[in-house]
Amino acid sequence: MTPRLNIIRRRARQNPLMVAGILICIAWIFVSIFAKYVAPYDPLEQSIMERLMGPSSAHLFGTDQLGRDVLSRVLYGGRISLPAGLLVVTSAMIIGTIFGAITGYVGGMADELLMRFTEIFMAFPIIILAMAIAAALGPSVRNAVIAMIVVWWPNYARIVRSLVIQVKSNQYVESAQAIGASPLRILFITILPNCVAPALVMATLDIGNAILIFAGLSFLGVGPEPSAAEWGRMVSDGIDHYDQWWLSAFPGIAIFTAVMALNFIGDGLRDLADPRTRKAVG
Amino acid sequence: MRRFLVLLLVLSFVAIPLGGVVAQDEKVLVVGLSEDYSRLDPGRAYEPGGSLVYHSVYDTLVTFPSDSTAEILPNLASEWSISDDGLVYTFTLRDDVTFSNGDPLTAEDVVFSINRMKNLKDNPSFLADTIASVEAVDDLTVALTLTAPDPAILAKLVFDAFSIVNAEEVQAQGGTDAEDAAETDTAEAWFNGNSAGTGPYVLESYEPGVQTILARNEAYWGDAPYFDRIIIQNLPETATQKLSLEAGDIDIAMDVIADQLPSFESNPDITVFSTQSDTLIFLLFNQDPEVGGPMSDPQVQKAVRYALNYAELAFLSGEGANTPAAMVPIGFAGALDPSEGVAQDVDMAKQILSDAGYADGFDVDLEYPDFNYIGTDFNVVAQKVQADLAAVGINVTLVPQEFQTSLDLYRTGAQGFSLWLWNPDYQDTLDYVEFLPGGVVGLRANWTDENADQEILDLRDQVKVETDDAARIDLFTQIQHYEQESAPFAPLFQPGVHFAYRSDLQGFAYNGQWRVDLTQLSY
Amino acid sequence: MSLYRYLARRLLLLIPLLIGISLVSFLISNALPADPTAANLGERAAADPEIVQAFRDKWGLDDPLYVQYLSYMRNLLKGDMGTSIRSHRPIVDELSKYLPATIELATFGIVISILAGIVFGVISAVWRNRPIDFIVRIISLIGVSAPVFWLALLGLIVLYLRWGIVPGPGRLDARVIPPPNVTGMYTIDSLLAGQWDVFRNALSHLMLPSVVLAAYSVGLITRITRSSMLEVLSQEYMNTARSKGLRERHVILRHGLRNALMPVVTIIGLSYGNLLSGAVLTETIFAWEGIGRYAYNAARTLDFPAIMGVTMLIAIVFVVTNLVVDMLYYFLDPRLRYQG
Repeated sequence: MTPRLNIIRRRARQNPLMVAGILICIAWIFVSIFAKYVAPYDPLEQSIMERLMGPSSAHLFGTDQLGRDVLSRVLYGGRISLPAGLLVVTSAMIIGTIFGAITGYVGGMADELLMRFTEIFMAFPIIILAMAIAAALGPSVRNAVIAMIVVWWPNYARIVRSLVIQVKSNQYVESAQAIGASPLRILFITILPNCVAPALVMATLDIGNAILIFAGLSFLGVGPEPSAAEWGRMVSDGIDHYDQWWLSAFPGIAIFTAVMALNFIGDGLRDLADPRTRKAVG
Repeated sequence: MRRFLVLLLVLSFVAIPLGGVVAQDEKVLVVGLSEDYSRLDPGRAYEPGGSLVYHSVYDTLVTFPSDSTAEILPNLASEWSISDDGLVYTFTLRDDVTFSNGDPLTAEDVVFSINRMKNLKDNPSFLADTIASVEAVDDLTVALTLTAPDPAILAKLVFDAFSIVNAEEVQAQGGTDAEDAAETDTAEAWFNGNSAGTGPYVLESYEPGVQTILARNEAYWGDAPYFDRIIIQNLPETATQKLSLEAGDIDIAMDVIADQLPSFESNPDITVFSTQSDTLIFLLFNQDPEVGGPMSDPQVQKAVRYALNYAELAFLSGEGANTPAAMVPIGFAGALDPSEGVAQDVDMAKQILSDAGYADGFDVDLEYPDFNYIGTDFNVVAQKVQADLAAVGINVTLVPQEFQTSLDLYRTGAQGFSLWLWNPDYQDTLDYVEFLPGGVVGLRANWTDENADQEILDLRDQVKVETDDAARIDLFTQIQHYEQESAPFAPLFQPGVHFAYRSDLQGFAYNGQWRVDLTQLSY
Repeated sequence: MSLYRYLARRLLLLIPLLIGISLVSFLISNALPADPTAANLGERAAADPEIVQAFRDKWGLDDPLYVQYLSYMRNLLKGDMGTSIRSHRPIVDELSKYLPATIELATFGIVISILAGIVFGVISAVWRNRPIDFIVRIISLIGVSAPVFWLALLGLIVLYLRWGIVPGPGRLDARVIPPPNVTGMYTIDSLLAGQWDVFRNALSHLMLPSVVLAAYSVGLITRITRSSMLEVLSQEYMNTARSKGLRERHVILRHGLRNALMPVVTIIGLSYGNLLSGAVLTETIFAWEGIGRYAYNAARTLDFPAIMGVTMLIAIVFVVTNLVVDMLYYFLDPRLRYQG
């Protein structure tokens, strides 16, 4: 066995959860790409007379209100939900991190302005903002994603700002300043890596929420096509149908596994990025 | 030890049985309702949920039996006569009726109530459009003069908005029946916490979004109701209503949906009442080619009617659902028998499309409000329509819209092909002339006097003033046959409507106007 | 800069902030594609041009935007937020009724989140990668990814219907009369009135919805605390503290937690805001008529005065919450003086 494989193996043993996360993610990516071959039925094929049947050998996850196979819809569902959730959260995290880091580091008026600015955004119920954005830009999936990023980024700006403020008073930052490193270098090389962990943790947790809210926007005509197999929509259809638990339970579990996997990976990345932590706590 | 104490404290909060604060010996009825009203002024009455309150607190001149809307019965008016030209209705009032504050009912109260409702120019005011004037002939006689014969006027008078209020009391609270009442009447706020009616109950309190409490009217002129108090609790989620009913915290759940029924069946403590609703779910095709595109072609409209699988649509809607043969719902006098309806015939639909020049099909958008109504999920219905039309080559793109946006487009006639519902404004078939050219819904399909056939225009004009029952039924039959052949609509189904109540509750009856008469219930 | 001067400046900043919010919300609500006429008139009334015109005149919908805005602001200064198009009631009355209900719920929720979240987070960080850490992480993942209505309905089915240890939906039992209105929060009002039965009833009604509402923030706070604690535990000053011979528990709680709390406090601030405005589903399922549902209904019926009022109110709550959070930073870490 080559030394490199050995390292990977050792790392994997040190962090089995990250490995599990990666495996689950690969599984979902595989299933999403090859849904056509994995799914037992066409996810759009209706069979009205077999609607709302519980799980059985013919339909392992039961059937929905139009008699479609829930298992097939869950398998296809990741195609829309996962990219949408990831896109919203990563974009919001990047935008929020940039603004939060700069203003947190610079402080003073810029900081004050950004914080008050985020408050204006956060004051709006998401539905009102989304309606307005859909009205201004026209309804489409792309605009739904934009609307969500607009609502989402202030969260990251605020959390990153608070981390930067905390970290910048550390000794190693002061020593970097003392040796005359440029502010950009200090911010992005010295400070930010120490702030990424909580933002990353929050982002990986947020994916599930983003998927659910994204589905909630579909009534504005900005979400995916109504017949499309999509986890968030499938889950929200279950509110009126809790007797038919399988409608929302299986897509809900799918969201859970995705959030869990991404979270494990996020934790693992954080450990890899910061060998100090590993050494200290082991 | 400290942790144990905390745990004990928490447990004691949740586990101690709670003493009721309302006296235990009172007989209280608790109704679970997804509250659809936000005010309780009878002159502005419109929402179906409000009927539970209005019908318990106010009386109208005439009424329906508790379980049907097929016949008109006396109520505050003990009898009435109609002039030969059908224009003047003379009502004789009962002489033993008093308002909840003890005042006797007089003809002036009736005049005030009707004029106020008309002049408030609020949602229900159109019901008084055919009323030219209302006058007190003497203390107990009222004359209602119409602008033209109106075969539906008695049915309209049963509606909540024609509730008779105590004129003197309402005037003291800022109410007025003057022409400019829309601007000068200030009694609305008072009506939200008080009532001035002759019904078995009075409005004790109304907390919007939380609950409406009715208390027994001690001065009631009829037989006293069983319950001392009625609490109408707002439970906006149907799932929560079901749980509260099962737990026994409410006595009736007003918003049960069809897909919940199977789980009620095994519970002997709960009785379900299912019937078909008056709600008509339909497709609209715009007659204006600019808006409707291929859907404005009467042949395409006909092909769509043949393409739909009505049996599956009704099955999709759940128990109690039925398919009307045309645009008059089952249950209204003159409605065609459901067996006369258009049956699905895919080959026929394809043939008609091909004859009309659409052999290769076409693409079209289906617009609809993205919402749920009494268990009918418009998204689900739209997907079924999409699938049925795909089978005849019409490629439908679904365009769900936010409810208000969609309503706006629908009301201005800007939707080319859409999915909507219609609830009757009053319990008479005449309400369905609105689906004809120039009618409220007809105009939304741009079906006007100009672009409609003379045949349907003549039928419409005759039925509006015909007062003879047999002649009306004959006219409505002709109208519906016409609609099956050539109209910019396709009826989909009438969903079922379901109520569930504690099995030992007595006196439950359903009627399309006020749904459930709470005053007749007892244990 | 002293704390007081900072505070004064922040309060002064409220004025331009509110003007900004009012302007933005005014523009947004008027940019919406639909017309409140359709939303608030019935089928027939909307077909009658005379009634439609009367409606538009009454609500000033045909005035130029700036006229509408200025008259709104003029009234606002007099404490008048206008009248709801939907219910015809003064917005001030409605908000003062619905806000306390939500504050009561959200405050219970946030207290639960903070207690559970920080305890879980510290446990999880200290016993990192042990079974207890694994369990806590799974619980917090369930908290953030389970749909709210699942937790709500599951809670109701098991705790209310089957075991009967919590009451059903609503803020009080239907048969219980609310206490005399002072703060609008039933738990406080009932205590003020000395009504123990009502207090117990109100408190028991709070239990399940506040736990359900808190689930998401418990998960988030747990994870942020864990991650922040791990960061701090690896810092040199922790080893310094240990080398001084301090007890491990003391090191973790005094030196570790205190320093790890910064991002946690931020999250708490954000979560409280979300609990206030984002509780629509919880409020709907538990028939808890609060500000979340109010905002949702206002938006759906295009009730402009209500949208304006509720946005401004939520904004104020946000601003105040964040002010408190910033004050907390100050106390947590004296090194962070605000340079002005």
